[in-house]
Amino acid sequence: MDFLIVARTVISLALVSGALAVIVSVADKVLNNYGECKLDINDGQKQLTVEGGSSLLSTLAGQKIFIPSACGGKATCGLCKVQVLSGTGAGQVLPTEEPYLTEKEKADSYRLSCQIKVKSDMRLRIPEELFNIREFICELVEIEDMTYDIKRLRLKLPKGDEINFKAGQFVQLYTKPYGKVKEEVFRAYSISSKASEKDHLELLIRLVPDGICTTWVHTALKEGEQVRVSGPYGDFFLRGDCEELIMVAGGSGLAPIRSLVYDVIEKGLPHKMRFFFGANTVKDLYYLEEFTRIEKDHPQFSFIPCVAKPEPEANWQGESGFVTVALENQVDTGEAKEAYLCGSPGMLNACIKILKSKGFKDNTIFYDEF
Amino acid sequence: MAENPRAIIKRNLFGENQVLRQILGICSALAVTNTMRNSLVMGIGLSFVTALSSLTLSAMRNIIPHRIRMLVQTLVIAAYVIFLDLLLKAYLPDISKQLGPYVGLIITNCIIMGRAEAYAQQNPPVAAMLDGLFAGLGYTLVLMIISLIREVMGFGSVFGMDINFLKLQTWTIMIMPPAAFFIIGSLIWGLTARAQRKARKEERA
Amino acid sequence: MTPSISPWIIFLASIITSNMILANFLGMCSYLSVSTEYKTANGLGMAVTMVLVITSAINWLVYTYVIIPLDLVYLQYIIFIMVIAALVQILEMGMDRFLPDLHAKLGIFLPLITVNCAILGATLFQVIRHYGFIQAVLFGLGSGLGWWLAIDMLAAMREKLAKAKLPPGMSGPAIAFIITGVVAMAFIGFSGIFVIQ
Repeated sequence: MDFLIVARTVISLALVSGALAVIVSVADKVLNNYGECKLDINDGQKQLTVEGGSSLLSTLAGQKIFIPSACGGKATCGLCKVQVLSGTGAGQVLPTEEPYLTEKEKADSYRLSCQIKVKSDMRLRIPEELFNIREFICELVEIEDMTYDIKRLRLKLPKGDEINFKAGQFVQLYTKPYGKVKEEVFRAYSISSKASEKDHLELLIRLVPDGICTTWVHTALKEGEQVRVSGPYGDFFLRGDCEELIMVAGGSGLAPIRSLVYDVIEKGLPHKMRFFFGANTVKDLYYLEEFTRIEKDHPQFSFIPCVAKPEPEANWQGESGFVTVALENQVDTGEAKEAYLCGSPGMLNACIKILKSKGFKDNTIFYDEF
Repeated sequence: MAENPRAIIKRNLFGENQVLRQILGICSALAVTNTMRNSLVMGIGLSFVTALSSLTLSAMRNIIPHRIRMLVQTLVIAAYVIFLDLLLKAYLPDISKQLGPYVGLIITNCIIMGRAEAYAQQNPPVAAMLDGLFAGLGYTLVLMIISLIREVMGFGSVFGMDINFLKLQTWTIMIMPPAAFFIIGSLIWGLTARAQRKARKEERA
Repeated sequence: MTPSISPWIIFLASIITSNMILANFLGMCSYLSVSTEYKTANGLGMAVTMVLVITSAINWLVYTYVIIPLDLVYLQYIIFIMVIAALVQILEMGMDRFLPDLHAKLGIFLPLITVNCAILGATLFQVIRHYGFIQAVLFGLGSGLGWWLAIDMLAAMREKLAKAKLPPGMSGPAIAFIITGVVAMAFIGFSGIFVIQ
């Protein structure tokens, strides 16, 4: 091939793409320059001046206000709702927001903060608990295998920092690029450590086949590494307006329940507690000694592990069958009780049905769905 | 993810045929099918571009930054299309003129982008090339079927050779766009119905 | 070189006798996938028309003042598609800034349109036929309107068909093609009114 032609081709293409890139960047600076915008939050509680042009979610995150989001701004989780009282830049409700806003929410000016751009001054209302949410760069001090597919992570917060959370809440764990995965993703995990221990966090992470985050945790993460988390999030925590707590969990759903149990004991609360822990096989059980010990030391707590299909050689002496069977047999009414459930949607639906048939009302059942 | 070559070939030619099952690459499939010669050239050209693009993109898959992925794919595909266009202009000038802008439009053909995005990104170069090549050949197969019907019934010829000795009456609509729509609609109808029947049988089993 | 056809004839012909979809088969992929709901189809048609007009105009300028003088005709495919991609991006930013309500309705379609064959197709047609600037712009506008018309018709019919009983395997792309074929056949009735090819 004639060298001159190749040279001309490469140079012309480079020049054309360069020119276009410049034009697009200039357009970006000019058109996307919305200047400075003032955000007034909660009627003056916080006032921020920010650069317009980005989504409300990322703008607020840049100001250290972390609105919960499970999908990272793709409009598939619906968690990032805020009330936008004024701010013409937000425009009308977008088609991408429609599936996540009820009519009442729309009437109350709720929007998905990942879908609106900050274009002008805005007045917002954000739940106060969200101001409590912070970001921490922790050190992974321990990683332990609890079962063949569940690992326990123990994270130490930076010196002097502490996390104030209610037992039952979760944090968002940010992965780092590894192997073929080039981007950072984040996923939510319930805190399994005691709420009284404010400078450490423990998480229970079960390996999900092809899961980006869980695969990272189980294969790439090593002790001593730095891990970024943000939180605490969530409205799964103790209400306690009752005499007895019925707790049900499956697999890694044990995490928030463990935190709740220790919370009740440490605060010296009088509630009776019954914890139904469901597992598929005996191999899937963990923390057995710990909960049996708590049961011995604290008569207010009962531990009922249920194995759906126990292996014959394991010689399982406890409850067999799904956790729903034990629930059905051992809980009589919903009177003076609250239920706390954490597990897969299937397990939750089955348990909620049983509880409702026993008389539990909607406002006494609390659940954390995977 | 090593898929064996026979599986790749079978999948692309029949089970997940790009045109009739995935409904991709329709634009050019309809436009050039009035003669079998044009269809064959277009089909082979597209197979060539898809195979080489998939090969190149697969070889580069670990070094392309995520943000400019689509841009790089488009550039690679465009480069091979230009190459194809020049080849045609040089060696088959009258066909090149008949195909007109549709050769250039191979760049926007959803099949190539589709294979690049869905397969070449995650698989090794040789597998990706085979996948691209046979996706293109599956497309060529469909084009040949459609153009056979259209040319025999519309012009009374096969590959330009007269078959008037069969005394078939020509049917003008076959040369015109509506026929292409009807034929491809019927083919899709047939294959979809067959796939649904198979699925129902498997459900009962 | 520039044909001496009135731009308005080109405009009308590109809607009726040389309809982008019904006669030239361009833009079929999005035409098929978006035509299940009338409202979205209408939005896409509007977006396609807007992009077609602007890209036809700009690509004509690029062809005449950049590609020909610098002897880059052999690279025209790459240059055109890069210009289209850049234009669509700028268009999206501009709409977001100055016409936010329109952006809310059409914004999601714009990235889809970059790879729509109708856009590149219109540019290539105008180059092959050596159109002048006004002819090219009106060709772009007419092509867009013709595409919009076709997708609106198909969407309206498919919405009604969704409730009808069809032979097994027919629903979806199969019936969409058959309908399009019938409409294309009807449009052939217009041929001869304007001759631009």
